[in-house]
Amino acid sequence: MISVVRFEFYRMMTVRSALLSIVTVTALGLPLGFVDWQMWALLIGVTAFTQAAIGTSSHFHHRTAVLLYLGQPRRVTVLAGQTMAYAFISALIAALSGVALLTGPSAVTYPATVVSAPAMAILGVTFATLVRRAVWTLIGAVSWFVVVEGLIGKLRAPLPFTVYLDGTEGDGSKILYFFMWALCGLIVAIAATGRDITVD
Amino acid sequence: MIQIHRLTKTYGQVRAVDDASFSATPGRVTGFLGLNGSGKTTTLRVLLGLTRATSGAALINRRPYRALRHPLREVGAVVEQDACHPGQTGRAHLLTQAVFAGVKQSRVDALLDQVGLAEVAERRTREYSLGMRQRLAVATALLGQPSILVLDEPANGLDPEGILWLRRLVRDHARAGGTVLISSHFLTELEQLIDDVVVIARGQVRCAAPLAALTGGGLRWRVRGRDPGLLRKVFEDAGARVRSAGAILDVTGLPAEQLGDLAFFAHVPIYELAPSDPDLERIFFKLTASS
Repeated sequence: MISVVRFEFYRMMTVRSALLSIVTVTALGLPLGFVDWQMWALLIGVTAFTQAAIGTSSHFHHRTAVLLYLGQPRRVTVLAGQTMAYAFISALIAALSGVALLTGPSAVTYPATVVSAPAMAILGVTFATLVRRAVWTLIGAVSWFVVVEGLIGKLRAPLPFTVYLDGTEGDGSKILYFFMWALCGLIVAIAATGRDITVD
Repeated sequence: MIQIHRLTKTYGQVRAVDDASFSATPGRVTGFLGLNGSGKTTTLRVLLGLTRATSGAALINRRPYRALRHPLREVGAVVEQDACHPGQTGRAHLLTQAVFAGVKQSRVDALLDQVGLAEVAERRTREYSLGMRQRLAVATALLGQPSILVLDEPANGLDPEGILWLRRLVRDHARAGGTVLISSHFLTELEQLIDDVVVIARGQVRCAAPLAALTGGGLRWRVRGRDPGLLRKVFEDAGARVRSAGAILDVTGLPAEQLGDLAFFAHVPIYELAPSDPDLERIFFKLTASS
């Protein structure tokens, strides 16, 4: 599993667009933390999800999934490695970009977001593992958030993105809910890892 | 050693691979031939653990791919063209794979030299030509110094120089005791490369045999001389089987040197003495004709 984590890290560090997105979000997050802590938490959540989803599905888009599974044929180990890699990166971005919150009135948001961001990355990896195409993963996630959680759930139902936003306000039970959602996603993704490896 | 034993893969009602069995042995290059959609790639993907078999087994050194402890050090595979991130440089791509395979990074530079990409190693792979990406794919397969190579259409996109380079590489690998299973559409190219041939059509293995056994082992000759009647007699007296088509004799069973000597001692000038073995292309189309 460690080899998969190292593989993903090395890839992120050597693909300019991936590295640029990490630096840009961290740089954007720093001033945003001063201005609006809710927007900062949203930025961290969206970044954690999209980075994990795009990173995972890009293996299928660029056909490197074949290299990944030739190097580590145990699919669950690959999933675990990718999950760990993107969870760590998302926590790092949250920790670095949110230092401004520590001095403000909403200091509780900082640890709550740093803890929740990895779970959001886990959701991103699991969505991409199931869908395998970045565009469909992101369209699906946005549609889910707008239609199911926004229009139907009125952002009050205990659904994944809603409980993430509530959790970043410091509500421990919502953070726990969010981790339960991430765990459920992970279980579904594990069940789907046996599928044949095909690419675009 | 690669063993495919009674392998079947179905997609719904379609049998992509149907009860296929063959093997590829160390020290030999095995050509895997078939038309598009014949089941070649599916067989190779099952062998490499990328696709699950419906039934049967595909084994590498007597184990399924998924059971290999260090797969990249045992098997090198080229199964996808363009399997590289376009935003990564060639060197970064190989370094990423080296990190993954647990291979020393110094091997990357040696490989870049070996495949002729040292000068473009710092360019992003989106700027590479198809041939360059194919060389990078071969370098990726060789990274772990595996004893087994599985190459699916490795000559695609290579220029004549690249094809020659690939041919040398594959032959050297087999000469060093490695196992090579190679699929290609370039039949004439394969003919100069392979020791054994496996022909697949509609998912079924039509033939798995040494190439020499199919082509006659180089003992079939087309002979044209001044006196065909006399030539026929001396060849038959020496034990050859002769069929004639006018002035041209179709002779089997004796080496060319002996045929030349016989003609010389019979004082019959020879105008033509050439191998007339059926080529791989003819054998392939004969075996796949019914499909």
